[in-house]
Amino acid sequence: MKLKKIITIKILIVILVLISGCKENNDEQEGKNSKGTKTIFITMIAKSSSNPVFLSAKTGAIAQALKISEKYSKLDVVVNWKTPEIENASEQARIIRNAMQDGTNAIIVSCSDIDSLTSAIDKAVDSGLPVMTFDSDAPDSKRFAFYGPDDIEMGKTLMNELAKLIGGKGKIAILGGNKEAPNLQERIKGIKKAASDYKGIELVGEFYHPENETEAVAEMLRVQSLYPDLKGWAMVGGWPMFGKELMNKIEPGKIKIVAVDALPVQLEYIEKNFAQVLLGQPTFKWGEVSVGMVIDKIYLHKKVDELIRLSPIPITLKNLGGWSRQLRAWGYEGIPEKYLIM
Amino acid sequence: MSSKESHKTAEKDRISKGQKFAYGLGAIVNNLLGGAIGYMSIVLNVGLGINPALVGTLQAIPRLTDALTDPIMGYISDNTRSKYGRRRPYIFIGAIFVGLTFALMWQLPAGYSEMFYFWFFLIGSIIFYLFYTIFATPWVALGYELTSDYHERTLLMGVMNFMGQFAWITLPWFYAFMENDRFFSDSVQGARTLAIIIGVFVAVVGIMPAIFTRERFVADDKEVKVKTKFFAGLKKNIVEFSKGLMITIKRVEFLKLCSGTFFLFNGIMLVGAFSSYITIFYVCGGDTDLGAKYMGLFGTITTISTLAAIVAVTWISSKIGKRKTFIIATSMTMIGSILKWLCYDPMAPWKVLIPAPLIAIGMGALFTLMGSMIADVCDLDELETGERREGMFGSIYWWMVKLGMALAFGLSGFLLNATGFVVDFGGAQTSSTFFWMRIVDVGIPAITSLIAILSVASYKITEEKSYEIRSELEKRRIKIQTVEPLIQN
Repeated sequence: MKLKKIITIKILIVILVLISGCKENNDEQEGKNSKGTKTIFITMIAKSSSNPVFLSAKTGAIAQALKISEKYSKLDVVVNWKTPEIENASEQARIIRNAMQDGTNAIIVSCSDIDSLTSAIDKAVDSGLPVMTFDSDAPDSKRFAFYGPDDIEMGKTLMNELAKLIGGKGKIAILGGNKEAPNLQERIKGIKKAASDYKGIELVGEFYHPENETEAVAEMLRVQSLYPDLKGWAMVGGWPMFGKELMNKIEPGKIKIVAVDALPVQLEYIEKNFAQVLLGQPTFKWGEVSVGMVIDKIYLHKKVDELIRLSPIPITLKNLGGWSRQLRAWGYEGIPEKYLIM
Repeated sequence: MSSKESHKTAEKDRISKGQKFAYGLGAIVNNLLGGAIGYMSIVLNVGLGINPALVGTLQAIPRLTDALTDPIMGYISDNTRSKYGRRRPYIFIGAIFVGLTFALMWQLPAGYSEMFYFWFFLIGSIIFYLFYTIFATPWVALGYELTSDYHERTLLMGVMNFMGQFAWITLPWFYAFMENDRFFSDSVQGARTLAIIIGVFVAVVGIMPAIFTRERFVADDKEVKVKTKFFAGLKKNIVEFSKGLMITIKRVEFLKLCSGTFFLFNGIMLVGAFSSYITIFYVCGGDTDLGAKYMGLFGTITTISTLAAIVAVTWISSKIGKRKTFIIATSMTMIGSILKWLCYDPMAPWKVLIPAPLIAIGMGALFTLMGSMIADVCDLDELETGERREGMFGSIYWWMVKLGMALAFGLSGFLLNATGFVVDFGGAQTSSTFFWMRIVDVGIPAITSLIAILSVASYKITEEKSYEIRSELEKRRIKIQTVEPLIQN
């Protein structure tokens, strides 16, 4: 019995010493922390603050900033949302120039125009401010990374999905939006490249228009009257589906439609078979991943890949419910409940 | 005594609270060692950049060595004759060395190649699992023999299982501890320190069952030790081992318990990942933070419910017997599993928490009742063979559990692919994929729970039978004790 008591007492002493040693160490560390917290300010410049796509990206950026701030006790990440109300490249360039003087530690930007922003980005980088692009790149600038889609691949996916729907034969047209937009041109290149693999498919042309619902619908109807036997549309943007006008003008399922973007307002087109495939983009991740990459580079000093490609998600009637719930989780509002419970 | 009345545990059969507590400390160590590598292995991938496939291999290979070492250790322990007992010396030595090995195997130096880390950790793991077996197999067997009483066994297993849950409460915090930049520069340094803390804890706490418990079957000091030649002894041991192994795995009542455990436990384990995926991607629409919050709450409710279930099951089994209690508890798990179908509601994510307490009841009951029931089987085995083989029964039972777990994890990934799940799509999986994920998540544990109930339904060692067996064994022991002195004289 005596031996047992001695062993027990010794063990208790060892445990007490270990616990007291650990506590001392913790106090020291906490003292350091309270003095050494660093705040990183990230200026986020999207294309337009009235576009829900970018509001979702903003939600992702803020969520990531909070998560990182919680994880690292010595770090606070703050996202400053500085986005023009409507697309304006020179306004974006002005915000970048201001950021060089307002204490910003890094910039993430979706470029409305390559030329105006490349020089602004280069100046910021030369002044020691790291810049990353998302969604829309300025590939010749000195930005350290780009996170977004491979537009040529996206164009190929559009074409391949459309070819499946029309059985690999028939006339198709491309709805192209703004002819000057480089990312849209890349998508059109991808469509054309993929179309060349289908001998039965005839591409009647690419058709441009101002990027709003009314103009897009008008252009569609004009082309369809020119080509009454048109079998399908490959749309590099979802403009004609930004309202309900198109539903009153075409017959569901008669002409197959495959389009980029699957925003809440477009979901009804899938439900009612006006559009068969929409390529959804994980817009929340634009902000989430970009903030994560900035912290990896400037705080954790990790090696960051220059190009991170996101893959679009084909949205059909089969995954309309899942996509609707995903949109809600990414901060989109106004999604009908009937889709959320699908 | 009426057959409907339960037996009262005699004073001489009671295990003191101190002994129960000391044995329960072994459960904390056992569960901690069993789970720690799994919870810390993320560092091998995230911190050291080892390919996830290699990390998986590192966890799988020791399972193969376990298949051999566990029954051998059971045999060695069963056949050890020393004045300190058949179990306690191994528990004492095993705890110290397994703690030391655990601390050392995580002291991975910086700046080496992936294959260096692979081999370093693999060799460390094999040595670690060897010492783990030396500790755990005799510790499990010790629990089966601390008392000969039908109810006291359940009480002991209840205390053991209750205390063991505290390891499972601690384990999920390991990653946050290792990643905490207040203490460590990176997760690898965190793992090194955590391993030392665990190693010291294991070595200090793990020896407690060896020091503070009393074995019932200790060799007599006067026992005659027969010296044999090494190879003759080895041959004899191999023959005896094989014979013992065959008898053990042919014991029908034991197989029923193994089957019950295998199906109930692995049914739940198999769909563990599914529940997380459905909660995150279906219920929470791909919102990983919200999903993680609900999974955390689910885990907390499960833990609290398991602790409550262990207490309740221990008490109920003393009133209605182990078999009936197991069937009721497992039925609750089955109902809880079926209830999940209604509770996966994207419009009300909180409903995922409703089935948690029901599912926990079966799991809380499982390792409380099974340990106690295996002890009853050991008595039956002794009655029919004249030998006590707690080590062999325990090692085969736990090896079956570990193997089942490994199979469940492997099959889980295969089933997830079969549902059509595409990770890049996040919450935007097809309705058909979500439907099949829910079918698997609800259907498999419901069916396996039913199989577990059917397996144990015909288990024959009732309370009455158990006391009859015990009475026979005691008569036999008295007979041997009275004959042996005559032979020695």
